Amino acid sequence: MTAGRWVAAVLFAAAAATPLVVRDVFLLDSVILILLWGALSAAWNVAGGYAGQVSLGHAAFFGIGAYAAALMSAKYHQSPWLGLALGVALSVGAGAIIGYFSNRLKGPYFALSTIAFAEVLKIVASRWRGFTAGSEGVPVPYRPGFWTLGLGHVAWLYLILVVALLCYALQVYLERSRVGYQLAGVREDEDAAEALGIATRRRKVQAIVVSAALTSLGGSLWAQYVGFVDPSHVFSIDLSVRFALNAIIGGMGTALGPFLGSVLITSLETYLRATLSGFGTGFLKEWIKNAGGLYLIIYGVVLILIVRFAPEGLTGLAARWRTRSERAHA
Amino acid sequence: MDSTARLGFAQIDVVAQLAVSTVLLGGIYALIAVGLTLIFGIMRVVNFAHGEFLMLGMYLAFFAFTLKGLDPYLLLLGAVPIFFGVGLLTYVLIMRGVIHASHNVQIFTTVGLSTALQNVALVLWSGDFQVFRPWESSVVLRVAGTAFNLSQVVAFAVAVILTIALFAFMKWTHTGRVMRATAQDRDAATLMGIDTDRVYRLTFAIGIACVGAAGVLVSPLYATYPQAGLQFVTLAYVVVVLGGLGDMAGAMLGSLIVAAVEVGGSYYFGAAWKEVFYFLLFIAVLVFRPAGLFGQRGAETLGV
Repeated sequence: MTAGRWVAAVLFAAAAATPLVVRDVFLLDSVILILLWGALSAAWNVAGGYAGQVSLGHAAFFGIGAYAAALMSAKYHQSPWLGLALGVALSVGAGAIIGYFSNRLKGPYFALSTIAFAEVLKIVASRWRGFTAGSEGVPVPYRPGFWTLGLGHVAWLYLILVVALLCYALQVYLERSRVGYQLAGVREDEDAAEALGIATRRRKVQAIVVSAALTSLGGSLWAQYVGFVDPSHVFSIDLSVRFALNAIIGGMGTALGPFLGSVLITSLETYLRATLSGFGTGFLKEWIKNAGGLYLIIYGVVLILIVRFAPEGLTGLAARWRTRSERAHA
Repeated sequence: MDSTARLGFAQIDVVAQLAVSTVLLGGIYALIAVGLTLIFGIMRVVNFAHGEFLMLGMYLAFFAFTLKGLDPYLLLLGAVPIFFGVGLLTYVLIMRGVIHASHNVQIFTTVGLSTALQNVALVLWSGDFQVFRPWESSVVLRVAGTAFNLSQVVAFAVAVILTIALFAFMKWTHTGRVMRATAQDRDAATLMGIDTDRVYRLTFAIGIACVGAAGVLVSPLYATYPQAGLQFVTLAYVVVVLGGLGDMAGAMLGSLIVAAVEVGGSYYFGAAWKEVFYFLLFIAVLVFRPAGLFGQRGAETLGV
């Protein structure tokens, strides 16, 4: 087992052990969010990291999942699990369409087309009042039980842990399977991959479809966990950036990366939100009108610094240090 | 539109009004889009923070007006050099380091900048919608069955003057030629003794000066808030992609197309749905003209 696998094992084991040790709701909530954002970033990583299809519109799939589950339970009084399944089905369709049509687009063009797709869904969700309740959003009713996804924090933690492990396992599969090597080939040099007989187009679409399905699944669970869905959040570019951010900070195209990034970013967010919201006092009070944006400024700066100085993320940095020390010992 | 309600439908020639609205709107969109397309054409970077500089321009105009009573169109004389400086600074501090990096690094650098700037505005100036009306906004012009307020007309006129000035600069000055040469072939330009770093610095500064000026120009017409840039920049992406990334003349044409779609869509289907139309147009371009508008050759040329 490599170092990355050990770190992941420790991380997931620690998450699984948390409810056995503490029952503090705040702490459990933090662990749930770390796992959920990690899983969502891992889903993004399947397309963005492994296949090189860097999307800035994954909020589209998240939003589809969130709305499908929320509307299914709030409006049609059915199980959110049905909504979750429907959301996954819709996202698979949407992913296939986007993947197929934006196939020839590269780099910034691909990113732009995914942004446009998420924006269209955002506008539709905010304007189609009769169906989605528009910009006011949809509150999700809490009905206790597994079938209705009205769970306690401990049950949520284990449910999300299962999803996170699923995403992790998929990534590990992509690192050692034929399909994974083919995706890496597509990412590194598409023409060369094609020349070697890889069905590049089909592989890219498959990566986006799988990534979309998992993102939608995460969106559905998020909606049920948080209990409220509104278009300006679930379809926002900020959310799409967040999926990418975790993966970039941890290391794109690595199985551990998204989860490592999520541990750092999600706990940083929780910490900064708690401390910085009291920042608008004292002599700074006159200057700070809305302390809620402070942690996002730090996000932006961290993102700029990471891609500039450690573009291969923390796992990449660790690997670099290791080879350096190995060389020193040799 | 409130002027329609006030004057009544009988006095407004609908087709003429829609046509003139399209041209006025298109002129302003063109100024936003040329900066974006210039930066892409020469630096090969899509500036995802472009809208945030527009937002800063809007805030500059808002504060100059509310605190100092400065007319936004007068402010423009100062705003263009200010944003030129802001562009220079941004290039030196942030963009220079990633100009030769991969697409992903460039995308996320400008995305990070966008997030940071948006939230700096949120922290310092709150998320409230800020609106102000200089005297130009209360003057209604009526020509041949159409009615407009003076702000729209001035914004359009200034935008067109600035855009034409930029075209002239690119076409006839030595520096403009050097910039076009760099756009056509970076490596060859370097071999010919062109200081590409200087070209990129200038390009970024000019692009930001354009969008900053556009921000000042639109500030009396739209509400100012931290995410205000987003609506314009998504539209500018559509414009630039329609015209071909890096193609300045294409950006002009794209601006008119997007403005026409927006004006026509708002009139026939209601203003709430206008964005859907140009995004659908955008996606349609991606689907049906990917080679023409997205092919390497299209992106490589800077058609001035």
